[in-house]
Amino acid sequence: MLAGFLTLFACQLAGEWLQRVLGLPLPGQVLGMFLLFILLCVRGALRDDAVPEGLSQGSQRLIELLPMLLMAPAAGVFFLGAGFADQWPGFIAAVSVGTVLTMIACGLLLKMLTRGRKQGHD
Amino acid sequence: MTELMHTPLFGLTLTLLAYQCAMWAYTRSGKMAMLHPTISGAVLIAIALKALQLDYFAYYQDINWLNFLLGPATVALAVPLYRQLPLLRELAGPLLVTLFFGATFACASALLLAWWLGATQETLLSLMTKSITTPIAITVTEEIGGITSVAVGSVILTGVAGITTISWLFERLNIRDDRLWGFCLGLAAHAIGTSRAFERSPVAGAFASLALCLTGAFTALFVPLAVSWFA
Repeated sequence: MLAGFLTLFACQLAGEWLQRVLGLPLPGQVLGMFLLFILLCVRGALRDDAVPEGLSQGSQRLIELLPMLLMAPAAGVFFLGAGFADQWPGFIAAVSVGTVLTMIACGLLLKMLTRGRKQGHD
Repeated sequence: MTELMHTPLFGLTLTLLAYQCAMWAYTRSGKMAMLHPTISGAVLIAIALKALQLDYFAYYQDINWLNFLLGPATVALAVPLYRQLPLLRELAGPLLVTLFFGATFACASALLLAWWLGATQETLLSLMTKSITTPIAITVTEEIGGITSVAVGSVILTGVAGITTISWLFERLNIRDDRLWGFCLGLAAHAIGTSRAFERSPVAGAFASLALCLTGAFTALFVPLAVSWFA
């Protein structure tokens, strides 16, 4: 698992470095994600399709931790203070109405684009 | 004695305790969307801080190193994405078109609705990342100058809005293909939607993870660029 962490940290470090050198507007860790994805594709094409055991475990552990890592920042919503009071209507409308509209639009578009193809294997 | 309450040890203990309680309630309720650990855990932390009269920002500083883990966790998302590669190839064209359209629509609809209801520029910047997974949303929001707490709140509530309405909605729209169901939920409602999709079927879950990764990557690329052009 520690070997997996080494891969993840190294990819993030490389991503941070690229971001600084190229002055990209993308976060370093997102670049790191792309780098790891490319690495896995190259490795898959050359040697072995399977993800290395350590990397598989390490990434699984971190992804499982996500709900816990997100709690503390999410709690900040309750401490935005009086300055945010007049922002709630727009905020609530954007996350509720906006999300429902997005799912309707995407569902209809994807349904139209895949019409005539075979049904999903469910 | 009270100085113990201002140590990272106390902050971390409080966080883990809130997580355990939230997880217990979530599992006990049969995974009710409103009780997702990120939501219920955040409520528990807020109640505890208010009850103990602790400052949120001091607490956040104490557990700041936990946020460090969001970096490698973002990189780790490449692994499930890589595993979905064969599934992606099968429907690549329609999925990519829907991705470009949907990710832009998610962002634009949120901005228009909030702007129409009088949101400030800072709030608008924090809403742009509402449909992408939180670790990416946090870094992008910091990059473009939004408020992290608002961004995280919008991501979480977007997820809740997605998973509480999708079954009803897609039944009405007559969309029953698990691939479409999963992809749309992952696109609009990121990780929370993805875990809900896995409860429907493995195929729905795989397509949701795919949409989660692609929407995150696309929005992370597009939002900072769009902001630097227009702002």
